[in-house]
Amino acid sequence: MTKKKISKLYSKKADEINLDSYQFSKLNEEHPQEKESVEEFKEEDIQSLASVGMYLEPNANRSGTYVLCNHDALTVAKKIKGLECLPIATALQKYKWLREKYWFKAVKEDTDKYTAAVGLTIPRGYFIHVKKGAVIEEPFQAVLYINVDNYAMGIHNIIIVEDDAEIHIITGCTNAQHVHKGVHLGVSECYVGKNAKLTSTMIHNWGSELEVRPRSATVVEKNGRFISNYISVKLPKHVQMDPFTYLKGDNSNAIYNSILMGFPGTRCDIGGTVLLEGANTSAEIAARAVCYGGDIIQTGILIGAGKNCRAHVDCAGMMMCEEGMIEAIPGLRAMHPEARMSHEASIGRINTGEVAYLQSRGLTEQEAISMIIRGFLDIKIEGLGPNLDRMVKEIIEISGHGEE
Amino acid sequence: MFEIENLNVSVGGKEILHNLNLTIPKGEVHALFGPNGSGKTSLMMTIMGYPEYKITKGQILLDKKDISELEIDERARIGIGISQQRPPTIRGVKLQQILDLIKNNHPEKDTYITEMIEKFSFNSFLDRDINSGLSGGEIKLSELFQILVTQPKFLLIDEPDSGVDPERLVQIGEMVNECFTDKSYPKTRIERNTGLLITHSGFILNYVHVDKAHLLINGSIGCSGNAKLMLEQIREMGYDYCITCQRKGKPHD
Repeated sequence: MTKKKISKLYSKKADEINLDSYQFSKLNEEHPQEKESVEEFKEEDIQSLASVGMYLEPNANRSGTYVLCNHDALTVAKKIKGLECLPIATALQKYKWLREKYWFKAVKEDTDKYTAAVGLTIPRGYFIHVKKGAVIEEPFQAVLYINVDNYAMGIHNIIIVEDDAEIHIITGCTNAQHVHKGVHLGVSECYVGKNAKLTSTMIHNWGSELEVRPRSATVVEKNGRFISNYISVKLPKHVQMDPFTYLKGDNSNAIYNSILMGFPGTRCDIGGTVLLEGANTSAEIAARAVCYGGDIIQTGILIGAGKNCRAHVDCAGMMMCEEGMIEAIPGLRAMHPEARMSHEASIGRINTGEVAYLQSRGLTEQEAISMIIRGFLDIKIEGLGPNLDRMVKEIIEISGHGEE
Repeated sequence: MFEIENLNVSVGGKEILHNLNLTIPKGEVHALFGPNGSGKTSLMMTIMGYPEYKITKGQILLDKKDISELEIDERARIGIGISQQRPPTIRGVKLQQILDLIKNNHPEKDTYITEMIEKFSFNSFLDRDINSGLSGGEIKLSELFQILVTQPKFLLIDEPDSGVDPERLVQIGEMVNECFTDKSYPKTRIERNTGLLITHSGFILNYVHVDKAHLLINGSIGCSGNAKLMLEQIREMGYDYCITCQRKGKPHD
């Protein structure tokens, strides 16, 4: 791919973000500054990071931490055998094979103008490499944080989980309170080896004028497992993503869970596509959305191309107001006669019979509504651990009260 | 004391209860018989305060206080409890959450709730979604258990015996009796809560003593009297006879 062609794509009006209105050029001028320790961040920034589940204390239950604050990065990791964490730029310099075998291979550089834009920038992001057989008990955490107004953040992450290895990566994305406008572009490429397991939990807590375009893809080999959790504490002005998983190896499995609440002035198009190519592959997509306003589009597409593959997609939405919109689009595409796939979608207002029932147990109307919404959003999310599990429950608690 | 005076109730603009009068003295449990569609469940839902049941005339009194204008949760908090025949399934809401809420509001009930969980072997129900995947008998038990632990002073129990096998009915009868036992008195003195027990078949009356029975026909109390005698006659002659009898205007009381 030539730079000229990428530049052409960059200018292509594939979507509505006008990247030129942001300080995008800085990405090409300023090299990432590596920070040595958490103390180099301001206290208010550290507090913002906590809002997306990041724990920066040295004794935190984390195998490592990557923080990208605008263009400054901090990478720390416990010395765990089989785990390597590097800033992506360092990793590209260190390992020639990284660019040859993994860089823009799962996500193509010319996918759209956002991937093209990321490809044009000086690389920022993390490289996580879990070597063969290494089971990393504690999650690795990454936070992508904007604290400059009108800033465009472009990142490119690569995660390689080799055969028989396991890791859970929690990525939090947020901005400082004083930031009104900004754009976040991300490319994440994940490679899950044979018998390996990758759990990826993404937590978004964005300001109301931020625009977000993550682009991610995962390739899963034989008997590999990929779990993707997306939890939105607060949606930005506009987020659009369609993470793609390619179940390449036989018996591989993918699970997508998403929980989000829409409020007035937000637009969210959260998709998910799984291509089941290997024999006996399986996938499940469970999407839950509560709309207090704004537009929510939930898309879950399953493509059954492998022998005896099986998959299910379930998109459910709850409308809490007369403004706003939920569109649930569960999709199935069978490309093999032995593919078994199913889908369900439901959207409705809160069931008044259920509210009245709980009121008859002594709950006030608002308590009953909160309890029902909490129940609706309570899909079983695997691998969060007690701290994150508690945080998700707190998010759900807040959403149950319809508070922004 | 529970009283209903000259009650008219409409649902969706159609009147379903007409000039209904009912008095249940404190400490008495009354049965309510009636053919299908006579308005038994509608009466219970009206007493509980379900909003689709509009009171167009008359009033409902608990301990001489008019409760007709109270919301459902307000009625629950003053001591009215309901065990429904067909309660909704609520996905994601566990029975344990309801119990936690009761414990939170009434810490003094903590020990009692633990005792009842053990007594009725209810541990396996606690982590299940409300009424999800339960058999007919299990739904009855779950409903009864919830009012048992809230200890209301006036109980509404709707068809605890419908669709239940005989073995399960023994357990349900035991739980109904436990519900009607007034826990506010010392254990040496057995007092009963006040309540209304709906039964179409009357099977539950083999296990639970009631002080009086009423027959509801076409949205009005047709006759009242001894529960056993009324039930014998209903079993012998059927509800069709009751309808004919009412047309002739022969009260049984």
